[in-house]
Amino acid sequence: MVVVTVPRSTEAPDTACRSSSVLDAVLAGIVAVDREGRVTLLNPAAERLLEVRAMTTIGRCLGELIGDGHDGELLAAVREDLDRVTPDRPIERVVEIHPNGSLELRYVRLRSRCLKDHLRAPAGAVFEVLDVTDEHKTNQLKNQFLSIVAHELRTPLTGIKTFSTMLAKGMLGGLEERQQTVVESIREQSLRLEHQIDKLVNLGHIDAEEYSQDLDAIDAVEVVRQALGGFEVTARDRAITLRAILPDGTRIVRADRSDLRRAVQALVENALKFTRDGGSVAVTLQDSEPGRVEIAVADDGVGIEPRYQGRIFEKFFQVEDPLTRHHGGSGLGLFFVKNIVEAHGASVRVDSALGHGARFSFELQLDGTGETITPQSTGAQTAPAHPTTDDR
Amino acid sequence: MERTVLIIEDEKLIIVSTQMVLEAAGFRVESAVNGEEGIQKAKSLRPDLVLLDIMMPGIDGWETLTRLKRDPETSGIPVIIFTAREHARGHQKSSEMGAADYFRKPFEPDELIELVEKHAGQRV
Repeated sequence: MVVVTVPRSTEAPDTACRSSSVLDAVLAGIVAVDREGRVTLLNPAAERLLEVRAMTTIGRCLGELIGDGHDGELLAAVREDLDRVTPDRPIERVVEIHPNGSLELRYVRLRSRCLKDHLRAPAGAVFEVLDVTDEHKTNQLKNQFLSIVAHELRTPLTGIKTFSTMLAKGMLGGLEERQQTVVESIREQSLRLEHQIDKLVNLGHIDAEEYSQDLDAIDAVEVVRQALGGFEVTARDRAITLRAILPDGTRIVRADRSDLRRAVQALVENALKFTRDGGSVAVTLQDSEPGRVEIAVADDGVGIEPRYQGRIFEKFFQVEDPLTRHHGGSGLGLFFVKNIVEAHGASVRVDSALGHGARFSFELQLDGTGETITPQSTGAQTAPAHPTTDDR
Repeated sequence: MERTVLIIEDEKLIIVSTQMVLEAAGFRVESAVNGEEGIQKAKSLRPDLVLLDIMMPGIDGWETLTRLKRDPETSGIPVIIFTAREHARGHQKSSEMGAADYFRKPFEPDELIELVEKHAGQRV
């Protein structure tokens, strides 16, 4: 963590001196600007990264530096963030830069925070600039690897899923009861594997925040029905009643079909995991406020302690100790649900009491009501290029 | 009249499984194992629809789509992108490049039939 104290004239000289020494020593570039965007402080690391000299920069507007022979994209991002940052809303993003206009490509993480004066009124902003090129490249390789692995797994899986589905649905002729059970089990396991591969790919997107960008007019009822298709045998084997309570007709929403299905699948998987054998899980899609539908997954399982309810959506968070837990899983399911739902401009609600089950729900805007979906940012943004998924 | 679907796909397993699904739904299915062969067959067969994979040896699916849409002989044939890999904004990109739809593998046979029924013969 970097703590910045902007020296004021009333400060004791030794305090200002100490602050200045700290700023000189930190590896991150620190730039502070006043409300008009004039630079009030610039440490040596920022001088190196921004290719500017403090003595010629202090007191000048950041805007004046743009097009001054320095890296335009970074300075443009700084200027943009200065207009957007508020005391409640720090901004963080990764920006691509070409130092000195060279062909060399580097990535810097830009963190922008609002500065307040002694009356706690906004007084400008402080920018932390950190070179994250190595981290970013490693991340790209990781995403590329996961994407290739997923492709290699999906190809044979397509055959298994297609053939087992054709057999299970009688498209290739009738089967005896035992054969039917076996084929349905193969199909369900293929759906389960597909869901796991989807999670693997999403793991690569944790830092990329690339959720739900393929918004299309789709029938939410149909998506929920499809999402349940992979859990029938599991529920039956554990004598869990899995019910779908769906309205007649269609409910058209603007959403990413695959991501919405993944979100519902993750909620159902989570509900089944924490429901005792013989319990029940209900998936409901119902009209809520005018122009909106609510999708909810409710179980009568073990429930969630109130102290964990805010944390279950965190990446890798699991209520149980991973070494001694009884339930499998990666701790990513609810994290993905949250990201996917937020990318659709909504939020996930959880109602639960320990020992009395849990109900997860979210609402979607019906299409054609004139309102547009504004995907919410779910955290850090990345540099514009995303070669991992866009290269082929 | 029997409608023809051309699958351009390098994985034999995907061709066979897709072919079985579409033939069960009454389509005639032809296949090509790379982009170049796919373009040639699109010209000679004039299919009602093309199912196009992205990751293929030689010219990839995006390039194949570009060439199909550039050639007046094939530009009117609806193309559905058919991919097992995540593509950033894939739906949007394929739409901007002239594809009729975007579909991910593994697929649900019913969904594939529905999609092919929707676009087959809808020349653009």
